[in-house]
Amino acid sequence: MDLSQYAELFLAESREHLSACNQLLLEWERNPASPEPVGGLFRAVHTIKGMAATMGYGRVADLSHRMENLLDHLRRSGRAPADEIIQMLFRATDALEKAVGLAVAGREREADLAVLAEIDRAALQAKPAPQPSGLARHFKESEPPGSPESPSLPAAPAASSGSTRLIEIVIRPEAPLKGGRAMLVVRKLQTLGTVHRVQPAAAAFESDDFDGRFVCELETARPAADIEAAVRSVGDVEGVTFGGGTDESQVSPAESAGGGRTRHIRVDLRRLDTLMDLIGELVTERGRLNDVAARWVGQDPEIDEVAIQISRLSADLQNEIILARMTPVWQVFDRFPRLVRDVARQLDKQVSFRVEGKEIELDREILDALGDPLVHLLRNAVDHGIEPPAERKRHKKDPEGEIVLAAVRERSSVAISISDDGRGIDRTKILEKAKREGVVGPHVESLSDDQLLRVLARPGFTTAESVTSVSGRGVGIDVAMTRIRALGGSIEIRTEPGKGTAFVLRLPVTLAIVRALIAAVGQERYALPLTYVAETVEFGTVPLTTMEGRDAIVLRDRVVPLVDLRKLLGTNGGAPAPPPRRPVIVLEMGERRAGIVVDGMLSQQEIVVKGFDAPQGTLPVFSGATIMGDGVPALILDSAGLV
Amino acid sequence: MTEGSLVSARLLVFRVGTLACAADVDQVREILPRLPTTRIPGAPPVVAGLVNVRGTLVTVVEGWRALGLPPPSPLPSPESGPAGSTIILELGKGEDAGNEGGGTSKKLIGFTVDEVMDMLAGGETRLEDRKGLPGVDPTLVRAVGRRNGELFIVLDVAALLGPILPS
Repeated sequence: MDLSQYAELFLAESREHLSACNQLLLEWERNPASPEPVGGLFRAVHTIKGMAATMGYGRVADLSHRMENLLDHLRRSGRAPADEIIQMLFRATDALEKAVGLAVAGREREADLAVLAEIDRAALQAKPAPQPSGLARHFKESEPPGSPESPSLPAAPAASSGSTRLIEIVIRPEAPLKGGRAMLVVRKLQTLGTVHRVQPAAAAFESDDFDGRFVCELETARPAADIEAAVRSVGDVEGVTFGGGTDESQVSPAESAGGGRTRHIRVDLRRLDTLMDLIGELVTERGRLNDVAARWVGQDPEIDEVAIQISRLSADLQNEIILARMTPVWQVFDRFPRLVRDVARQLDKQVSFRVEGKEIELDREILDALGDPLVHLLRNAVDHGIEPPAERKRHKKDPEGEIVLAAVRERSSVAISISDDGRGIDRTKILEKAKREGVVGPHVESLSDDQLLRVLARPGFTTAESVTSVSGRGVGIDVAMTRIRALGGSIEIRTEPGKGTAFVLRLPVTLAIVRALIAAVGQERYALPLTYVAETVEFGTVPLTTMEGRDAIVLRDRVVPLVDLRKLLGTNGGAPAPPPRRPVIVLEMGERRAGIVVDGMLSQQEIVVKGFDAPQGTLPVFSGATIMGDGVPALILDSAGLV
Repeated sequence: MTEGSLVSARLLVFRVGTLACAADVDQVREILPRLPTTRIPGAPPVVAGLVNVRGTLVTVVEGWRALGLPPPSPLPSPESGPAGSTIILELGKGEDAGNEGGGTSKKLIGFTVDEVMDMLAGGETRLEDRKGLPGVDPTLVRAVGRRNGELFIVLDVAALLGPILPS
């Protein structure tokens, strides 16, 4: 049977379990005496094994089987494992992750299984005195058929003297790989006796209509409890009924209730993207409908009612779809503890790593794009931020440094900070270097945080005295910054010598639909997302000044530099003279501010953000475009490009 | 492009100013009336702006500017409304036109013309492997053909429009 259609699901599920493995290993490494991690590890590896066997990925199944075996021994020994065992389990988890990736790509043969010998050796040492408990029997039964060392499968049940039973099996309706699970159940039953009949036929398992319900006729001498345990060991089995028929009363009560279980399904991300596109078009058309309704409301007031109703419904729909795309940050953050640990070990540093605000949600697309910049900043923090233990001791600091990754929800954005308590960035050194390379003029005496970041973010700028394999190759902050900017976000830096450094990334919560101000500049319209709009004031009602040669206004004792959109965008050609009192939109991104001078404010509305292929030469101040109610495009101004 | 494929191609013939031009029909996504454009600040003058093609944003290039022709006479007949058409072209990366779902490196770009004149089936006309007519940059021309006795140039769409969009 062809399982390739399940490969993506298998990959996604396996990655989740592997991520859990890494978390648990880290926990175990910190506290080897704790009995919890090994149980969780066992279950995660066991699940991967089951899925891999279903998919026919022999090597993945074999590797996970042997890890499971070792974990089972460790679990039952009840002793804290030696550190080298945990380190080996880290390596085994890595090997398993690689094998999973290769298997899905159809290159399972390339998987490197060198770690197998180590696992087996450790398993042999960890093996407790034989003491077959009910639990142990259960786990033996869960070994995949034909696995190289299934020691004591019940011997040759083929010439069974038992009776023939009809067994109805129901796979959980929300289970992925339903057909695969069913197939595995059949295989499992074949180890217990002779399967005479499967209804519907196994070929039907692949069909989309397969609802996870099927009947097997099994000839076996084994008691019903054994059969049920074997079937359930496959996982995702909701009910096992003996005697044929559909007598629900016989369904094992253990898990049949179904109530209280979270009802989650996996949805292909592309489906959500399509939904998002469609709702985007609907929002655009809604704008048109409202325009038409406003014109016709005199003739028939009912049109207004319908338009309002449609607006409300599409707004609700839009919110639901945005929510469906929201993903908690832990889905990306969860791999970082392992990363930080590995980098720290590699560099002989001691680092405790803390994650805060795991549950904060961001649009899936933003979250996915955030991974690489965060990896970079975290590596930097370990490599350049945290000092070696000896140096920390000399400065009377805890030899173990601390790095905190925190997500916080702000007004309509999310701030993600990476802070360390390390040595901080040496401004004088950076300033010297910046002067040498001509980044700043020779008369500059000190760098503000803002200038510092601009210097650091220059392509190829590196402060590392020696290039390590971890970071400092000069492909750094500039790349991170470009990525963040492309998402409509910003980066800020705060650093204090001897105390530490913090990078703060600010990101919009969603990319696709935002509330925006529609501003008039000449005869043109531009959209400015509200995410970073702090307030609007009127030109002429606030005191004027200049700042570094630029016009500026004074707002509550702070000088805010101005950007005149007419000048910036080169608006001309028949544009009427600007009105005397032009509105100023004040943008605020962390510490940075700017006042954007426009000709007028037209409206505030939700806009659908769309990309476009910007022609050569386009000013780098647009993050996309949107389609207005009249069907004509308007460009969206990028706050980060203006401030 | 070999010459053989040129001769068999179906061509869309259109007029920009006084110049008759043609493009391979396989590269034409659709023909629309002139749409209201939104200026893109910073873009070169050859770019007319951004238009909305049923929810997709497409950059439109002013045909006469791209071909280096004189500006059109300012007075089209008043009853014809906003004159001309916008041809939406597909700039591929040399892949076969068949695979659309992949959404690989296909880009859409609009091109304004004064009049769409004709569609020529393959083999209906003889193309000469000749680079150009007087006054037209020969690097933009793939061949020259003849229709009703009138010469037209087959545009190298990729050479003409490709440089306007970044790759």
